[in-house]
Amino acid sequence: MPSLLIVVFVLQLVIHLLNTFGAGVINSVLWNLYNLLPVPTSKSAAEQKALKREFVKVRKEMNGTSSQDEFAKWAKLRRQHDKLFEQLKESEAKSDSTKKTFDSVVNGLRWLGLNGVRMLLQMWFQKQPMFWIPKGWAPYWAEWLLSFPRAPVGSVSVQSWSVACMAVILLVSDALVAAVALVVTAGTKTRTKKMEEPVKAESGKKAKGEQTQEKKEL
Amino acid sequence: MSAAVVSADDELEPTLQSILDQKSLRWIFVGGKGGVGKTTTSCSLAIQLARVRRSILLISTDPAHNLSDAFSQKFGKEARLVEGYTNLSAMEIDPNGSIQDLIGQAEEGEGPAAAAGGMMQDLAYAIPGIDEAMSFAEVLKQVKSLSYETIIFDTAPTGHTLRFLQFPTVLEKALAKVSALSSQFGPMLNGILGANGGLPNGQSLPEMMEKLEGLRETISEVNGQFKDENLTTFVCVCIPEFLSLYETERMIQELANYHIDTHCIVVNQLLFPKAGSECDQCNARRKMQKKYLGQIAELYEDFNVVKMPLLVEEVRGKDRLEMFSEMLIKPYVPPAGGL
Repeated sequence: MPSLLIVVFVLQLVIHLLNTFGAGVINSVLWNLYNLLPVPTSKSAAEQKALKREFVKVRKEMNGTSSQDEFAKWAKLRRQHDKLFEQLKESEAKSDSTKKTFDSVVNGLRWLGLNGVRMLLQMWFQKQPMFWIPKGWAPYWAEWLLSFPRAPVGSVSVQSWSVACMAVILLVSDALVAAVALVVTAGTKTRTKKMEEPVKAESGKKAKGEQTQEKKEL
Repeated sequence: MSAAVVSADDELEPTLQSILDQKSLRWIFVGGKGGVGKTTTSCSLAIQLARVRRSILLISTDPAHNLSDAFSQKFGKEARLVEGYTNLSAMEIDPNGSIQDLIGQAEEGEGPAAAAGGMMQDLAYAIPGIDEAMSFAEVLKQVKSLSYETIIFDTAPTGHTLRFLQFPTVLEKALAKVSALSSQFGPMLNGILGANGGLPNGQSLPEMMEKLEGLRETISEVNGQFKDENLTTFVCVCIPEFLSLYETERMIQELANYHIDTHCIVVNQLLFPKAGSECDQCNARRKMQKKYLGQIAELYEDFNVVKMPLLVEEVRGKDRLEMFSEMLIKPYVPPAGGL
């Protein structure tokens, strides 16, 4: 059993990551993974995929056929296209309802697996001190707050520890996002600056040479 | 040349004989894009049918009435015998006009729609397609009581015709909503409207509902008949040009969606220049028409494709129509040695 400190931290990290990436993305990834398993829906999903592929193929072919020059061929393709479109719509409507159930189940499980476990941990270990802080480090009210709600005074409770973990994770992730944004905007700014620079009207070898030089500098 | 016209063994015969032979047919629609010769075709078909059936009624629902022109005789809203025939009648109805008549009657306070005047008018403009459908229903009611053996519809250009076929569903939805509302708010409405449910201008709600319900029943009964291939068929008329073919294909698909039988296509206005013809336009056009004829043969293998030539004179009057109608039954043989 790894230390409870690490378990709580990892749990908070996972919760944060899932929240940032979005439930929708995760659900669709899980849906695709789920359909790789030999379940009844995977068959219909595979069929739907094949149908879609065929539909796109027929559509492409239809668009590539001149309706004026080869009317018969075009009309036959069009009939096929319309039929496939109908089928596709039907199967999509059917799989949509299954996906909805799947999503709600996954959402429920995810909630249980993350927030449920967190609550359970916090309930279970609420009386256990995570670690002790040196005596006289903090005034009594701060010690009391850190041990809130039920850990012995002078220690850090599991609740306080989770809050602290979350705060650190938020800080670090914000910092990361800001850093990435800074780098990206800096990159685009230099690029737009380059574009805004007036282009010399005279087209000569010299101008060309200058341009290539500028590019090298980049 | 003749190889292109004379049918191969596996093709269906290029005539409308199958329609003449199918004695159970009660409704025949003739439709296609504007200007392809629907009226001429429907008149010709009516003439041919009149020879083998007891009584025929030809109805034009095209707002641009051409029956009068074709037979050189004035027709109106009542069925009238065509001169020179004893069992062929014709009538012209205006899908847009008859609703106006209905409303007009109501406003003058007479006729069957009097009780439902203003309400009818509101409804007529509120539900899409109801005006056409109502006029159709009126006509069909008349026609049903008149006991013709076969009724031929010379329809308005594509699209217009088929809208009323969806009508029962539209009206059913509307009626369901209205009756749900009236059952919910009925007591309250009655309190306001008075005991007999009278609406502001002397109309009554129950009567109104009854009228609509009756209309819906008529239309759904007729719809049921239209979907029976023993009773109804649709003859598509087209000319061998791209747009006309395109519309025809769309119409055939749409008809298939409505489960209406169609197995005849009349290709009209074919050019057959004589051998060694100097007319450049004719020869060029003939080439183009041949291309599209090939496409039609390929696409509609399971149809009777009738090929009709473009004549040098307008097809008007009884004699010319009769001559033209012959070609629906006996395939036209183009001049030998042409393109």
